Amino acid sequence: MNSRERFLAVLAGEAPDMVPVVPVLDGYFAPKVIGRPSDLCWLDGNCLVETLAAAQRTFGYDGAVAEMGLGPHPNVLGCRVEVEGNQVPLVVETLVEEARDLAKIAVPDPWRDGKMEPVRGLARELGRDVAILGWVRSPFEYAATVRGLADFFADFYRNPGFAHDLIRACLPATLAVGRALVEAGADAIVMKDSFASTSMISPDHYREFAFPAEAQAISELGRQAPVILHVCRNSMPILPQMAATGAAALEIDSPVDLALAREAVGEGVALKGNIDAVSVMEKGSPADVEMAVKAAMEAAKAGRRFILSTGDSIPVSAPSDNVAALVNSGRKYGKY
Amino acid sequence: MELLDRFRQALVDGDADEAGRLGGEIAAGTAYSADRILAVLSAAMGEVGARYETGEYFIPEMLRSAAAVEAALQVLDPYLFRQRQEKAGVVVMGTVRGDVHNIGKNIIVSALRAAGYKVYDLGVNVPAAKFAARIEEVGADLLLLSAFTTSTKQALIDVVSTLEEAGLRGRVKIVSGGAAHSPELAREVGVDAFAGDVKSTLAVCRELMGGS
Repeated sequence: MNSRERFLAVLAGEAPDMVPVVPVLDGYFAPKVIGRPSDLCWLDGNCLVETLAAAQRTFGYDGAVAEMGLGPHPNVLGCRVEVEGNQVPLVVETLVEEARDLAKIAVPDPWRDGKMEPVRGLARELGRDVAILGWVRSPFEYAATVRGLADFFADFYRNPGFAHDLIRACLPATLAVGRALVEAGADAIVMKDSFASTSMISPDHYREFAFPAEAQAISELGRQAPVILHVCRNSMPILPQMAATGAAALEIDSPVDLALAREAVGEGVALKGNIDAVSVMEKGSPADVEMAVKAAMEAAKAGRRFILSTGDSIPVSAPSDNVAALVNSGRKYGKY
Repeated sequence: MELLDRFRQALVDGDADEAGRLGGEIAAGTAYSADRILAVLSAAMGEVGARYETGEYFIPEMLRSAAAVEAALQVLDPYLFRQRQEKAGVVVMGTVRGDVHNIGKNIIVSALRAAGYKVYDLGVNVPAAKFAARIEEVGADLLLLSAFTTSTKQALIDVVSTLEEAGLRGRVKIVSGGAAHSPELAREVGVDAFAGDVKSTLAVCRELMGGS
């Protein structure tokens, strides 16, 4: 099996020859691999392609995240974004203050200004041997972005109907970007729902506000490609619900116990995770990485529905040796 | 239930309408001292923070209570001010340049107001020079810097050096806090203290203001 086949086999519920290794190595870390500053790459698709492809070739993992850069994501909905220094793009102006602003959320053209070129470019660069993962925000996350997170959360009590309308208004954006990702060459879609985490909102609010839009988006996009649902930090109390969205895999973060997660969701969905991006990848040593990988394999490898990954994006300050250790240990302990 | 108990409950429940209405009732009477009212406000925010720690409350519930505190203070502020000529301290607060997270900041602002501080909230993505200008303008005792992302270290250093250059560093105590920060980082960037949550922020501010 090549890398792509191995990764797609797990998502399809078929047996891979070994555990695929697909870390969340994106625009934060990749530019560093060839000595580029991140801020150039956030807004320059060619730079992203070059650095993401270089990172995959350097470390040899099975799937590359062909993101468009964090900046263009809120940007596609019309939010003003600024990038300064070696930093993450900031949404400096939110779009929606009141109900009549919902009309400002137009269905974006994901192809405009070459936004999909990084995906197409990476698919071209890495060929058919390596899986390409496209990255889209959920309707819930787009809603939080265009409204501003604090106001969005306050709306849950202040004006829940408005919050629902806003999330619904963002669904077409998720669908448009998701479909374009597949058209541009993504083998799978990672749908980010970072703010739906129970580190931020209650399981009840997850079920009321985040889940219905997740399920609807996944049901539509899943016809085109397998969808991996990502929720940051703690998702333990909502894992069964996340599995019920129809996602092919759940990308879970480091606060979740992998063995308990498997118990909670059964064998019907793959798990992708969950080496701690900060305490292990950024602050740990290669030996720490190996120990964490071994533990993750012991907890989740059985059943062949596991993809070794970091829980979240590898920070720019993580040592390259730790990324190499992640892949090497993945190969060592991931054999079936 | 006694009026102050109902008031406290409305704050904990995050019922802004009820908190505002009861705040009005309290202000209309003369039965309660400013210190007693502020103690209730502060205890309510403390309970909200405790419920967050134990997983009973999440961020929307914290924001709901912070909004209730703001609604109550809108009504109570003139009443409290008549009784207390001095505030607990004057605070300038904002999220540093390069970071637009405002949830933690908003909650801390409400908790400090509830504890009797005069708080100037400068918002998010605040340049160092803006902090310096406002500190000078309002004669702040404390500067609270919120920094959520790991990439904000340089922004914190910039604020400290800007205050030094403006000759303001000796006049104001600086507290930093936020998800990505630690006491070690606070020492490294040269601020006076680190605070990680509502409770520790109130304790640190009290201590820096010379209280127990």
